[in-house]
Amino acid sequence: MNFSSPLTILFTLLLLHETLYSTMADQKFIENTCKGTPSPNLCLKILLANPKSQNSDLTDLALIGVAAVKDKGVEIIRQIVALKSSKPKLRPTLNYCEEAYHAVVYADVPSSNEALRGGLAKFAEDGMADSAVESQACERSFSEHGWMSPMTDSNKAMNDVANVVRAIIRMLL
Amino acid sequence: MASSSPSDLENPHATCSYAPLPGGTGDEPTVSRHPKKSAAIFLVCAFLSLAFVVALIGVDKAELNTNEAAVVLSRGRGVDKGVSEKSFRPLLGAENSYPWSSNMLDWQRTGFHFQPKNNWMNDPNGPVFYKGWYHLFYQYHPDAPVWGKIVWGHAVSKDLVNWRHLPIAMETDQWYDEQGVWTGSATILPDGQLVVLYTGSTNESVQVQNLAYPADPSDPLLINWVKYPGNPVLVPPPGIDEKDFRDPTTAWKTPEGKWRITIGSKVNKTGISLVYDTEDFKSFELLDQVLHAVPGTGMWECVDFYPISKQGENGLDTSIDGPGVKHVVKASMDDDRNDYYSIGTYDALKGKWTPDNPASDVGIGLRYDYGIYYASKTFYDQDKQRRVLWSWIKETDTEASDISKGWASLMGVPRTILLDKKTQTNIIQWPVEEINRLRTNATVFKNLVVEAGSLVPLELPAASQLDIVAEFELDEATVMRLNDVSDADVAYDCAKNGGAATRGALGPFGITVLAHEGLIEHTPVYFYVAKGVDGNLKTFFCADQSRSSSAMDVDKSIYGNVVPVMKGEKLSMRILVDHSIVESFAQGGRTCITSRVYPTKAIYNNAQVFLFNNATAATVTASLSIWQMKSAQI
Repeated sequence: MNFSSPLTILFTLLLLHETLYSTMADQKFIENTCKGTPSPNLCLKILLANPKSQNSDLTDLALIGVAAVKDKGVEIIRQIVALKSSKPKLRPTLNYCEEAYHAVVYADVPSSNEALRGGLAKFAEDGMADSAVESQACERSFSEHGWMSPMTDSNKAMNDVANVVRAIIRMLL
Repeated sequence: MASSSPSDLENPHATCSYAPLPGGTGDEPTVSRHPKKSAAIFLVCAFLSLAFVVALIGVDKAELNTNEAAVVLSRGRGVDKGVSEKSFRPLLGAENSYPWSSNMLDWQRTGFHFQPKNNWMNDPNGPVFYKGWYHLFYQYHPDAPVWGKIVWGHAVSKDLVNWRHLPIAMETDQWYDEQGVWTGSATILPDGQLVVLYTGSTNESVQVQNLAYPADPSDPLLINWVKYPGNPVLVPPPGIDEKDFRDPTTAWKTPEGKWRITIGSKVNKTGISLVYDTEDFKSFELLDQVLHAVPGTGMWECVDFYPISKQGENGLDTSIDGPGVKHVVKASMDDDRNDYYSIGTYDALKGKWTPDNPASDVGIGLRYDYGIYYASKTFYDQDKQRRVLWSWIKETDTEASDISKGWASLMGVPRTILLDKKTQTNIIQWPVEEINRLRTNATVFKNLVVEAGSLVPLELPAASQLDIVAEFELDEATVMRLNDVSDADVAYDCAKNGGAATRGALGPFGITVLAHEGLIEHTPVYFYVAKGVDGNLKTFFCADQSRSSSAMDVDKSIYGNVVPVMKGEKLSMRILVDHSIVESFAQGGRTCITSRVYPTKAIYNNAQVFLFNNATAATVTASLSIWQMKSAQI
């Protein structure tokens, strides 16, 4: 192959251009999707963190989102377990929160995944809506009993992620 | 429509709208630092409120401070009233520390609403009356109280009220329903044969339609089922997404003698209903025309299509057609989780249906129910010649609670459907008459005069399972005299106007159920009458969950809609209270509202019922019959 041939160079340039254009188009798709969510920057962060997002349709993006909710949920459950040792007085409320996040990770997430794969987006939306509510309920349970919440950042993070993913799922309806 | 726009996440739509995190409004009481002082204040206030309430009963009304009375129903007295919110909070310590004790969760199970023993249920499937038994199949997830890989649950009844649970009718055992045995309908052929068409989600998650029939047609319990070896009988046609093709209807006869079904779908954002003809339920022909389409409504799930009689008082077989008949098209809107219906005219030759009133078309007009009510389906009960409606009623608490209690979802009480002969523009729904057989122990109140701003406790043996029938009359003089009117009042919206605590001249008034004695928790069901500038009255019917529970992880929306009231009609309501579900019907079933409520205190012996009139001007005269409802076998 004559690498210095103008034709080869042109072909290579076109190929690069196409790939670049295609990547830009995927990026645009992700950006547009995220614009329709309550936290576009958070949305971009979640989606772009997964390389598969470059070749994703809307359902795939939603699945990446649900995976992020799961990861966050698992992380929060670990945090709760640690808090139960370090702040034993808060144990009753922490138990409530643990049940809330257990529901997110072991019920809402699998249900949402199954629903997205089957094309029944509404059940996936319900799963993400519940995930946000569980985080809100956990947060409120501290103040309801006169305690300062040690989990405000975590609960807010879950609430935000779940609402972003819910917004993406609504685009499938 | 009462629901907010789908993309509005500041106010997530009603089905998942929970009270937001507090913004420091002071609504949430913190633990009292002076238990003895609070106890004393509590006792004084309890005595005062009891005295206040006692003063209301009887003909001679004591001088009533309407501000005080109104405050009883509102969010609680402000600091300037001298009594803080927290003093009404019973000081029960640890028992009250966390919302969901097993006592509270156990109470939530119903006494007479269909529900499986555990785990998750959604859409009703293939309801039918066959060889002396009513059959109900349903979407069932046997593994957890959340939606998942779905099979067909099955139960039978002689009376639509008492049920015998049977084995799973159909499992996910074929490639064409491996991801789920989804919703379908039954058709009884003229020779008595029963066939079922249902949606399967294939191993590749494509939505297809499958044929199934009883393994033994002589078995009245229809325990075993056979799936047609040639399944699927229908796959998504060109132009239809493989995930937008589900929920086949009961079939009806065409003028050519073929069978016809319709299946909901969408093209972009236009909801449509595809039409197929068949002679054998095995091979189908897609008609060029859809049955109907409405732009902007999104995916149509669980489409239902049936005739109603213009003059008669009976239901009609699905195949009936003719001059004395109108046709209803109903669909469940995927976008907003509500069931909509419209009355119109069916052209059997073209396979096309047109609404009588395009402004009230499918998806944009009337709803079967203004609360939680979805994926509903009717069947023709040939035994009693009525059309019966089933619907899925989901939970509106958290998934964590559903996991704790081990179950999620109910069916609504089955309702008969008829054309409203007086208005001609809507149907009426009414609980099947068999439900009345659960009535026992009636308490009757006649002509109770309830002045503006008053609350009347109703003495009852128990209040978790009730059938309440009530009639109300507003005092004519006040209605006529009212001059200070504006069109703002007739723009009342149950969901947005603050519930039973918001007072108008002529409302709200009604009955509050699952009420705790201090009204810390209560669920008002009420009428709100507004007088417009033109002098005409507009009546709203609402169910208010905003104070239904002290728990902060349950939905507290307010539901409702306008209800047509004909000249000379009294205002009437019927309320079925059954633990965590309240079904309310206005004007004989013109407007219906199903609510899910999860009180933590107004349960067991602490549940009460009050009659109330929170209007500022009008007096209301009420007559009620309240029955205790026995539990059914569910």
